[in-house]
Amino acid sequence: MDKHFVMETQETVITVKKPTLRERPVHEIYERAFPRVAAFVSNKGGSFEDARDIFHDALVIYYEAISENRSSVHTSGEAYILGISKHLWLQKHKKERLHILMSRMEKEISIPDDYFPTAANNRLLRILESAGKKCMELLRAFYYQNVSVKKLTGSLGYTNEHSVSVQKYKCLEKIRNTVKEKSLHYEDFIE
Amino acid sequence: MKTSLNNTIRIEKYLRGQLNPRDRFLFEAQLLMNQGLRMDLLAQKKVYTLLKMYHRKKQKEELGEVHRQLFSNPEKKHFQQHIFQLFNPKQK
Repeated sequence: MDKHFVMETQETVITVKKPTLRERPVHEIYERAFPRVAAFVSNKGGSFEDARDIFHDALVIYYEAISENRSSVHTSGEAYILGISKHLWLQKHKKERLHILMSRMEKEISIPDDYFPTAANNRLLRILESAGKKCMELLRAFYYQNVSVKKLTGSLGYTNEHSVSVQKYKCLEKIRNTVKEKSLHYEDFIE
Repeated sequence: MKTSLNNTIRIEKYLRGQLNPRDRFLFEAQLLMNQGLRMDLLAQKKVYTLLKMYHRKKQKEELGEVHRQLFSNPEKKHFQQHIFQLFNPKQK
């Protein structure tokens, strides 16, 4: 089956030629992609832990790019993950900009603007993780894990799909109210 | 309670561009007149941002678990050695 799909970047349209990483077991992705990222980080003087952390961030960004059809790759997923890793490394080591070689494909990669959260958002998230964990899990399942209402109906012990849907919006409202209550300033909403 | 739930649904549809032009116009008119609704809209936008952060954090926790498994599995010794040698080339 052809897994190609087309995505647009600011400058060009490129195709993904490999099956998405989502369709491959995560262990397999790890074993194929991590050595390249580790070699890069080691070559730049980073530690094993640096390589692990950068690799995890790169995978998260890659998954998002694939699921949102936002990103573009003209090569394998592994090469793309290495490209993201180089950008992540550069964000922390800006002075090395001239010493890191990037291909055309790698240059077109960008890290989402909101990837590194603000202190205010981190604070809010900590509050929600302790006060609204159940709702956060339910909403995560809805919005990010593509768990169907039907499946959630069974696993959450509801008798029908309507109840789950109502619960989703109740959760949204509950979390929203907590955000309003705990935001110190109006600016906290809009940053 | 029901009205506020309806508002939550409407805000979501508005933010996702799922309201038809007439409903969108009506909603925007309400936004101009209703400060509470404006605050709800901003707070709900923030909720989606926080959910994204939460999802990323959970994904990284899950990847951390995969990492631990890979580096503690005796069957993956060659893989582990290959990686460790990158950071400490003298060790075999």
